[in-house]
Amino acid sequence: MSQRDVLAELRASRVSAPLELRERVRLLAIAGNPPPRKLVTWRRSVALLVPVAAAVAATVVLTRPTHHPQALQVQHGEAAITAPKAFALPTTPKRAQRYGATLSLRVHGQTDLSNSVKRALRIATSLGGYASSTHVSTGSAHIVLKVPRTKVVLAFAQLAKLGTIVGERIDILDQQTAINDNLRTMARLQRELKALRAQPRSAAVKRQIAQLTTRIESLQRANASTIRADRYATLSLNLSTSSHAAPAHHGHGPLHGIAVAFRWIGIGLLYALAFGVPLVLIWLVVRVVRRRRVDSLLNRA
Amino acid sequence: MSTFAQAAEDHLDDVYGYLAWFTGDRAVAEDLAAETFERALRLWHRFDPARGSARTWLCQLARTVALDHFRSEKRRLRREQLAAPHERTYSQFADSLTPALESALRALTAGEREVVALRVLLDLDAGTAARVLGISPTNCTTRLNRALHKLEEALHVAA
Repeated sequence: MSQRDVLAELRASRVSAPLELRERVRLLAIAGNPPPRKLVTWRRSVALLVPVAAAVAATVVLTRPTHHPQALQVQHGEAAITAPKAFALPTTPKRAQRYGATLSLRVHGQTDLSNSVKRALRIATSLGGYASSTHVSTGSAHIVLKVPRTKVVLAFAQLAKLGTIVGERIDILDQQTAINDNLRTMARLQRELKALRAQPRSAAVKRQIAQLTTRIESLQRANASTIRADRYATLSLNLSTSSHAAPAHHGHGPLHGIAVAFRWIGIGLLYALAFGVPLVLIWLVVRVVRRRRVDSLLNRA
Repeated sequence: MSTFAQAAEDHLDDVYGYLAWFTGDRAVAEDLAAETFERALRLWHRFDPARGSARTWLCQLARTVALDHFRSEKRRLRREQLAAPHERTYSQFADSLTPALESALRALTAGEREVVALRVLLDLDAGTAARVLGISPTNCTTRLNRALHKLEEALHVAA
């Protein structure tokens, strides 16, 4: 019997399902409605979540604060925000805030440096401030100025004219919350003090009154000190001559963005390879082992 | 789009025939076919006609059910053989087959029988059968040729 005959005989043999099975399946189809198709399945969720997570990660990586000298960083309380170069000092006069600003300028030569230092000191004095420290050396100078907070914008604008800006930074620390907390604590302590004063003056009561009074005075001093310190903004002025100034990296060509993008893609691919290759290998091994087990099972069956 | 009832009606014989040849036991095939369609009803929402025909999908399910059966049988036999040796019984694969071909088919392994069932009995093309078996089309064709060669040899010896 040839292979063709074998095939013909096998093809001619039809196997029909018994009537009982046919009836069973028919009843199954009639009785049971297939459950509705789920819109949210784990596969779809993964397919959606993975790109979203990748996009979030990419956004975080690409938008994190840079250390570029032109970047303006404003710290507000514990939150840090990057602002564009356009100089806009966020001022909220009614709140107690500690202002700190750093301005890095480039001047032409040693003579300009010396003149700029003098003019900076004059600007601070004319605005009602003073120089907290001054360090001048060949090619660079570092001055710390204390300027009334209300005039910090004006001071900054005038100081910026002393040279070419190579870097600027503003730090604002909000202290109103701490002051408000202190005020609330003081009000509570005052009430307790009033109640104690209404009581008969025993030794224990006197001791408590003394303790409360000391605490209230301490809080008052702390608040006063904070408010006093916040009246002045700290301006750090870094001056340097052209030869000392940090070179500004602005000469990127039109393809720089593409190069950066390719670099990030390369890094991403490297990570994908580092994590993906072992996973693929594990998957292959598992697949081969499973297939061998099935083959072995079927060869014995 | 075909409904489950329609698919069950159209492909019951195919699934039953495949399972009968795969397991070599019609009674077992009947149970497994019923189980396959119960599972198919539960998973019908996963069936995507764009990815393959209902017949292919049902055969894949039937294969999974049959493999589960083989695994449980293996465990059961291992337990029972400790007490007493087991004698395996076979029923007829099809009514119209000659006794020689019946015994030749019985000599094949389940893996060989299933490829014959898919390619010859159900007349699936190599690609579709390979997808049901989870192997490459080339491997599927090789397995079929090997099985047919074995059948031919067995029939030659019997003659």
